[in-house]
Amino acid sequence: MMLTLTNIFFSGLSLGAIYCIFALGLSLVYGTSRVLNFAYGSMYMTAAYGAWLLSDGWLGLNYPGVFLVLMPAAFAFGLLVERFVIRPVRNRPQWKTATMMTTLGFAFVLDNLNLVVFGPTAKAMPPLMEGAVQILGVTVANQTLAVVGLALLAVAVLQAFLTWAPLGQAMRAVSQDMAGAAIVGIRVNRVFALGFGLSAMLAAFAALLLSPVYLVSPLGGWPPFLKAFVIVVFGGLGSTQGVMWAAFILAFVEAAVIAVFGATWILPVWFVVLLAVLLVRPRGLMGKWGN
Amino acid sequence: MAQRGAWGLAGAAALVLASGPLWLNDYFLHVLILCFIWTIVVAAWDLTIGYAGIFNFAQLALFSVGGYGSAMLAMRLGLPPLAAMAGAAVVTGIFGFLIALPCLRLKGEYVALFTFSVHLALPTFLEKGRAFGTGGATGLMGIPPVKLFGVTLNTANKTGWYLLALAAAAVAVWLIYAVIVRSRAGRSFVALRDAEDFARSLGVDDMRAKLLLFTLSAAITGFGGALYTHYIGVITPRVLGNEFFLLAMVMLSIGGMGRFPGVILGVFVVMIGNELLREFGQYRLLILGIAVVAVVIWLPDGLGGLVARLRGRAAR
Repeated sequence: MMLTLTNIFFSGLSLGAIYCIFALGLSLVYGTSRVLNFAYGSMYMTAAYGAWLLSDGWLGLNYPGVFLVLMPAAFAFGLLVERFVIRPVRNRPQWKTATMMTTLGFAFVLDNLNLVVFGPTAKAMPPLMEGAVQILGVTVANQTLAVVGLALLAVAVLQAFLTWAPLGQAMRAVSQDMAGAAIVGIRVNRVFALGFGLSAMLAAFAALLLSPVYLVSPLGGWPPFLKAFVIVVFGGLGSTQGVMWAAFILAFVEAAVIAVFGATWILPVWFVVLLAVLLVRPRGLMGKWGN
Repeated sequence: MAQRGAWGLAGAAALVLASGPLWLNDYFLHVLILCFIWTIVVAAWDLTIGYAGIFNFAQLALFSVGGYGSAMLAMRLGLPPLAAMAGAAVVTGIFGFLIALPCLRLKGEYVALFTFSVHLALPTFLEKGRAFGTGGATGLMGIPPVKLFGVTLNTANKTGWYLLALAAAAVAVWLIYAVIVRSRAGRSFVALRDAEDFARSLGVDDMRAKLLLFTLSAAITGFGGALYTHYIGVITPRVLGNEFFLLAMVMLSIGGMGRFPGVILGVFVVMIGNELLREFGQYRLLILGIAVVAVVIWLPDGLGGLVARLRGRAAR
């Protein structure tokens, strides 16, 4: 029993750390531009395919090398998505419908592109680190520890950027009051683009950490996307801290569900959590209603 | 006036279409049967997303609830197929009502996500639901054919299905665009969509109307799903896959949301285009995805908007 609990603790910890960065990417875009990016999961999967190409699939780079190539590429990809999929429809009166349709359509474009290019069979990635250590009587893979460390580091870097960097402060300003930010001279369009770039980077980083555990497959982005949205809603829109709390709480719930009921019930359980959160506290743990 | 013109056109088109079996071969009849069924489903979607402004992404989930519901009522309870189809419409209506309930408290994106997660969660339930008679991952086969006026309509009977689907589509379109949209609830939604603050200041209450519209749309969608299932004779969780969702989305965006008769044009254009794209094999879905993005960007109001614009130019 004790051992199961410790196991749940460690798998919950590593899941939570990854969900944290993944959900922050979604929350960042939603917070700044109020666009719900339905293509986020597919962008994550595309990044995972990119990582696979850079490592085992084609170039054979090691993980630091993959990281150095993938991160700038993901940033550029995010900028392009914002420029060509979001910006053309942003100024419409019905932009909410329009952005949902374009991002969902774009998600299907990416999914089917991945399917056409890489085929339906899932790809496997090598682990970040080999070996395992004993902690409190359970065996914890070094992989898990590396994931937790790297993910928390990424969250800290993002927090520092949002708190102290001028661009990060501009992003927070836009997410709090778009019109006000524009009046004081912040170029809102640039901030949107930056938000998409950073969001794509976070998705790519999550892909790098997750794809050794889960396989890389064309439709594999949808479950994480759904989870990320539940986390963002549960945490409260626009609240970074709320997202972090929600990520860890839900990750521990998921780890417990896997240990007790088995992995097939994960998505239905997330769905029930989403329903419960929406009914009981639609503005989330720490969020305010955004307008 | 313009509306009456559109209805006259639709009536004439229906008459020409009704003579279809006389001069079309089985393949064309099959494509048109699918067009009619999709007309029902996409017009019902237009009612929620285009007119009522509810971001309902559970349309395919409702479609498959209708399909599964009818198949299970006919196979497990032994109802005659027509009764099973009516029962499926009722079941889907109730299902839609239950989905709409939490949506009442939610704003735009939340509704989109909640409904889409219904869509994503449903395949698991269908695959795990063997004990409830869903047939698991392989779905249900040998769904009994519809019997009408002593004629058994199996999949090969294209003429019979053609007329049945055409009649069903005509009734559905009439019900949606001539009855529901013009009802009090429907008009209050058009008002809310076009001038929300003004409509609210006049005391338009959208809660009950939203629930009613969503439930009716779900029931019609469920009937469409039932019709599809009895026509094809097989249903699997794959109806919730990528392809149908994309198709319905392209139909809706090419047609133009909330702009009758745009959506109906959209259904026919996309369905026929989809058949022409068959030779592109696996690139077909990629092309459909690109079409969604391109149409939303460059043709914001779809064919319906184009029709309205041309009409405006002709009037000038």
